Amino acid sequence: MKGKTIKERVSGNWAASIVIISTVALAVVIGLAGNPSQVVNSIVTGGLWALLAVGLALVFGVMNVPHFAHGESFMVGAYVAYFVFSPIHESLQDNPNAFLAAVAPFLAILAAGVVGLVLGVILERLLFYPLRVRTKSGWVMNAFLLTVGISFIMTNGTTLVLGPNFRGIPRYWDVDPLEFLGVRVAVDRIVAFFIAIASIVALWLFLRRTRTGRAIRAVSQDETGAQMMGINLNFIYPLTFALATAMAALSGASLLFMFQAYPTVGLKPLYFAWYVVMMAGLGNVVGAIVGGFVVAVLQTATQQFVGIAWEDVIPTVVMIIVLLIVPSGIFGSEVKGVQEQ
Amino acid sequence: MNMEKKNNAGAWGAIKSALGTVGFSPLGLVLIVVAAVLPLIPPFNQEHMIRWLIMGAFLAAQSIAFDFTAGYINVVNFGFAAILGLGAYTSAILANTSPVLMVQPGISPWVGIWAGAILAGVVGLGLGWLTLRLRGIFAAVMAWFAGIALMGLVRNLTDLTRGPLGMNPQSLLDTTANLPYYYIIFGMMLVVYIVLRLVTRSSFGLAFKAIGQNIEAARASGINPTKYRVLNFALSSFFAGWLGGFYAHYFGSLTPQTLMHTSKTVEVLALAYIGGRGSMWGGMFVAFPFVFLIEFLRSNLTELPGLHLVIYGVLMVLVMIFYPNGLSGLYEWVVGKIRSARAKDN
Repeated sequence: MKGKTIKERVSGNWAASIVIISTVALAVVIGLAGNPSQVVNSIVTGGLWALLAVGLALVFGVMNVPHFAHGESFMVGAYVAYFVFSPIHESLQDNPNAFLAAVAPFLAILAAGVVGLVLGVILERLLFYPLRVRTKSGWVMNAFLLTVGISFIMTNGTTLVLGPNFRGIPRYWDVDPLEFLGVRVAVDRIVAFFIAIASIVALWLFLRRTRTGRAIRAVSQDETGAQMMGINLNFIYPLTFALATAMAALSGASLLFMFQAYPTVGLKPLYFAWYVVMMAGLGNVVGAIVGGFVVAVLQTATQQFVGIAWEDVIPTVVMIIVLLIVPSGIFGSEVKGVQEQ
Repeated sequence: MNMEKKNNAGAWGAIKSALGTVGFSPLGLVLIVVAAVLPLIPPFNQEHMIRWLIMGAFLAAQSIAFDFTAGYINVVNFGFAAILGLGAYTSAILANTSPVLMVQPGISPWVGIWAGAILAGVVGLGLGWLTLRLRGIFAAVMAWFAGIALMGLVRNLTDLTRGPLGMNPQSLLDTTANLPYYYIIFGMMLVVYIVLRLVTRSSFGLAFKAIGQNIEAARASGINPTKYRVLNFALSSFFAGWLGGFYAHYFGSLTPQTLMHTSKTVEVLALAYIGGRGSMWGGMFVAFPFVFLIEFLRSNLTELPGLHLVIYGVLMVLVMIFYPNGLSGLYEWVVGKIRSARAKDN
């Protein structure tokens, strides 16, 4: 987060240029060979992957935590949205109310975001804080394994309490899809995309323009230096973790119509968010936004040209090849001291 | 009297050091003997109890092979379960005689298990090479990606593996009794332990530890990190594949989801960590009581399915935060206390 623009990052960076140009080319090929609606779909999913990956990148950049339980935040968001939305939806069947019908989905998604914030603070205080106090060396690996444990508990705990069944909704808004350059796109997808973009922009402004946001960036650049300037890490860490968890919960809630809610729903989004951050460079927030779209296009291309079953094989292989060529990601990792750990 | 005691101590010392080279303390040996005769003693001689013991030995052996990488060169092989599954599937495909699938080589499982192990070792060699330039978390994530790709491959090559429907490979033995299988897996576990212990007792072990602690310093002292990391991955994967072969021909049912999923790696990882990183015996020791605890909870809390897994996770998180040295760390601490108390008495 050194304040470079995307243009500065890309010019002179052949790896990034190649990846971005081939992504755009791939998107054009998808549009020409299949139907243009696939291109629109991949842009929508790209926005959501970006939202998820930005949270992952933020947590890694600021706290040096490789977050393996990010998918479980997604899962919590999906469940919260379901449990807020479906009672309202049912009561609307008996007494229709156009205003409430339009607002209810937003309520559900907002509730998911709020629960995400609270969950993030609780997890940080309850688990990462004691670990940080006790860990003397190898923090990254210990934190990673702790998140693995959290993920294991949350998935199995959800199965225990709510059962393994799928809870889903067909759509948030009961309206016809919009026409859009000759492509029909469901309203749900458009709204999800705008929620993703709005959240990313809001986070960006928060990090750039506010005092607290600057403090977060300062911690990500130099923890000791930031502490000497009077920044309280016991405030910055819970805040960062809460923001990241809330973003994952928001994406889970916005995509409820696509993914539904079940205990292991978070796994696939987690894969894709990790592809994005590994490809873009761990801890690189700006790179994560671009990476989100790259991975989404790759995913759509796989679905269309090879088959949906190969959705996790081909992007994985591509990611492995990219990482072999540029081990720290196409935009480079901007995290202090991670290479040493 | 005094003389006799001294002589005794000398003989005792010789036995101890002989055991030490293959990695057993006298207490460890006693426990191994107990584990060996356990399935003959009631109430452990019931078939379902022997099944639990088999599960325990299977997990114990896995945790040894896993800790060989995680505890020594400090790279968490997140694709461990996928490699194990590769061994299992290779052996199952070679043994296949069912006309549903494209190939029916019908090779004996006794041969197939070794083929699976060798293939897994070769893939592990590749994985070691793949993660070579990466450290810590990058290497773990890369191994994870490779595991996902491998699992996806098994799921999609339906002509060979029947995909998500799963395979039903033939049994290793003609009998339906569990006891012979227990001694097979128990022997396999001991082989994995002794071989890996001999390797880590040699200069290789020192090199592994050096690479795991500080790769630059290790390189500066003339250790070739490439060679040792690739070798470590290959050996660990070879044993993973070997154990996978046993799984295939004992349980007789293979699906990508139940064998190669990331959560299976997490289970082994939890055991290895609760047992104590870098000890190898810790995970082996913990596995048996652990399987009994988990299975006991599972069979007694049928109205709460999945509670045993939550307990598993909570235990792992608690160990990680509050006692990162695990059981082996606790053991060393106790031994240290006893020694210093004795020194004081003298």
